Formats: sequence, structure tokens, C-alpha cells
Amino acid sequence: MATTGSATTTESPRAEVEVDAGVLSIMPTMTEDAEGEGGYYEPWLFQTMLGVLADRELGIGFIYSVLDLLAQRHGLSDVVVVVRHESFGTQMFRLGGEVVTPDVVARVGAEPGLYCEPDNVPQMECDAVRTACHVALSLHLARFSASHDWLTNIANRRSFEDALDSAAARSSRYDWAFTLILLDLNDFKKVNDRDGHMAGDVLLKQFGFALRQAVRSGDTVARIGGDEFAVILSKAEGHDSSDFVERLRKSLIELGNYVEFTIGTALAPRDSTDPGELYGIADHRLRKRKGGGRT
Amino acid sequence: MISRIEEDFEIELRSLNGVLSVGISRHENDDVDVVTLVVNSKDHVATRSEASHIAGLYYPDATVVIEDANGVLSPQRSDGTRIALVKADYDTSDGICEVQLAFEGRIGKGRAGSGPLIGGAEATLEALRNLGYEIPFSLMTVTNVTNGRDWPVIVTLRSLTNDADRFGIARADDDLLSAVKATLDALNRFLSTLEIRS
Repeated sequence: MATTGSATTTESPRAEVEVDAGVLSIMPTMTEDAEGEGGYYEPWLFQTMLGVLADRELGIGFIYSVLDLLAQRHGLSDVVVVVRHESFGTQMFRLGGEVVTPDVVARVGAEPGLYCEPDNVPQMECDAVRTACHVALSLHLARFSASHDWLTNIANRRSFEDALDSAAARSSRYDWAFTLILLDLNDFKKVNDRDGHMAGDVLLKQFGFALRQAVRSGDTVARIGGDEFAVILSKAEGHDSSDFVERLRKSLIELGNYVEFTIGTALAPRDSTDPGELYGIADHRLRKRKGGGRT
Repeated sequence: MISRIEEDFEIELRSLNGVLSVGISRHENDDVDVVTLVVNSKDHVATRSEASHIAGLYYPDATVVIEDANGVLSPQRSDGTRIALVKADYDTSDGICEVQLAFEGRIGKGRAGSGPLIGGAEATLEALRNLGYEIPFSLMTVTNVTNGRDWPVIVTLRSLTNDADRFGIARADDDLLSAVKATLDALNRFLSTLEIRS
């Protein structure tokens, strides 16, 4: 196993599309950058990319699919692709989703490239596959970051608003019940001032973890502000929110970083089926409780 | 193709500090059994704790195993330790090519006849041997893809030790440079596994 070089182009890949007797095929083309260096694009790789893009986004699953196809094409018993990503650092992916064990890590090293057994894949194909894997990882991260809060890895405000709109629409149409819960950490500012922002971040992260542990599959957990969180308990009545709060307390205790919090709830369709109104009701109840010093 | 949830599970694990690789093994009934993380980090305790929490959210019954790759990962090679092409000349009067390669401050020289394609590949092999590499390959073919300009050159090398033949492909400004680069391309992965003779 050894490293490969990389072909960098300043232009986006071009492909000539030919339609013949109802069969769509994409021919490989050479592209040139300003220095006249060429890039080579594999038709099977394009076909795979397009196939995936037809029904979903590129992501880690695409990387494993590409390694699998490459192994089939060249009769490979093992493939490892090493990608260096500015957010993730060095990342390694192996054929079949197998872990890249430390002995293999030692052999392939940190250099980005494609490592094959046997070593019979043309260099340009190696480069094309490695680049495609890097792109897939970047796109997956971009997709994940667009919908998740960077610190807690739970949904961000935008995702929460989408989820609340959907839940409210279902409730209005089918009379389905759900509970919106807004949560606010008590005295979070004091933690930041006393222990520093790093400690505050740890607290928020652990609270996010505890929220994820406390909900059921199908519920939505989001961080919607600095120390403000929201939960949508699907198909839930009022008493379900009490059970949720108990589970949340238990999770926080288990994580060893207990923090007091205040909640405000709104029930659909009983209180409203308008997302804005539901949010306003839950927020009003939260402020009222906070003023009264109650969780 | 793995599911969207499995993808997000893996990307969460890979975002943890120092995680290089993730492997997921399953029971016969397809339930996740063991999640293995290979980590290049000094603080395994924190990584294990966070990984266990994440795994617990997706697959509560899964066991999390951390394998240590700290110190195993070879440092990134700098450009200075790569083989660099210093000079490639072709004398049209006698058909001799001269190739000079550099590695860690040392220069290896090779000369060969038979024109820019065969001569360029042969001279490159000689320059590598002159640098101290054991090269158990002989030149089999050098082909300019279209017999025209600005098209790739393919070099095929035959193993002298019953190993697989190797081939490389490159396109550069002229046939000589293409032949040199294609020869290095053919040997690229082989050379990186070799210790150079002092």
C-alpha cells in the first residue's frame, strides 16, 4: 500500500453526456487548469455519484459504496482511503465499513491517498476516488452543520422551526396531539462568569446529551438560543411532559453535572395549532414560572 | 448503502477529537454489537466517554471499543522528502536522455539512448538506482497514447521477481517529461514502501 498524488483542477469536472438507444452514459473527459495539468474523471464514479444524488445527498454511505465498487472492478481484497479534512483532520475509511486498525494505520500513514490490496489500480483512478470521497465527507458535514447546533449536535433553531411547523400542520389536519416544551437553564450566566465559558460550553453540551437521552424516537430536541432549548414530544399529552422532565432530571444526575432548569409547555391542538401561537404560549408560561422561581 | 441515521451516527463519532476511523460490527439479527474507534489522541478517557454517550443514543446495547493509534500514525511527509525531478534533457544529435532526480538533498543521475520515450524511462530507472533504490523492474513498454503531442504516455515495467507488472501514466509538456513522470508514477507506490540504501 502506498500513497497517491492528486490532480487539482481549477475548473469543475466536465462530462459529455451521450444518449444512445435509451441508455444514458457519461464519457470520461480530460480537463485542464491554468497550468495545463489534466484531470481524469472515471465514468463509473460519475454514474455512482449521479445514482446517489438521484434520491439522496452524498455522504459517508457514498464513500463506502465507492470503495465497494472499486474493489469489485479491480478484484481488491482491501481498500483504505485517507482523507485530510479541514474540520475533521485525518479520516480513514475502509472497504465494507471495517475499522482501520492501528497496524493498518501505521502502514498507510497520514498522507491522503488510496491504498489497495493488490496494488493494481491506476493512479488517476485512485486520485479520482480519493477526491470524490473528500467531496462526499465535506457535503455530509455541510448538510449536518446546516441542521444541527455545532456545540450540542442537536437540531438548531431553523430545524426546530421546520419541525414545529410540520407538527402543527399535522395536528391541525389530523387532530394529532403533541407537546411543545421550552427549557431555560437557571443561572447559566453565573456559571459562565464564575467558571468561564469553557465550563459553560461543557454544561450546555451535557444538557443537550441529557435531552437526547430523555426523549423517545420521533421527538425533536433543539438548541434555539444560548441556554434555551426546545423539545417537541410527538403524540404526547400533558402528563407525558412530566414523565419527560423526570427522565431529563435522571439523565442529568447520571451525567454528573446537574443543572436546574425552567420549562414552559404548550399543548396542541388543545392550546392552538398555530406554531407561532404555541411558541408564544410556551414562552409565556416559561417566563411566568421563571419569575416565580419554579421549575 | 447505509441509512441516513447510520451516516449521522458515524459523522458524530468522527467529529470527536482524534478519531481516525470507525468500525461497526453487527449481530446476525443486524443489531449493532460493537462500535470500534481508532483514536490518535492522548485523552482517550474523554473520547471514550463521549463516544459511549453518542453510541448510547443510537444503539443503547452496543459496546464501545477504543483502539490506540497514538504514535502509530507516521508524521506527514514534507515536500522536501519527496523525490523531485531536477533535470530532464534530450540531446537530439545523439538521441541520449539525461534525467536527474533529487531526494533529501542528494542527486541521482541517469542516462539512456533510444529517444525521449524509451530513453526517458530508462534514464529515470537509472537515476533512481543511482539514488540508492533497489528497483527490481525492467522497462517493458513506453507508449504515447495517440502518437501525437499533448497526450499521455504510458510506461509498463516488468517485475524481475515475479511480482505484478506495474504501469504508470502521465502527461507533461513533452514526451521526455511525460515518460519520466509516467515511470515515477508506475513506481510511486512501490518506492514509498522501500527503505533507501545509504
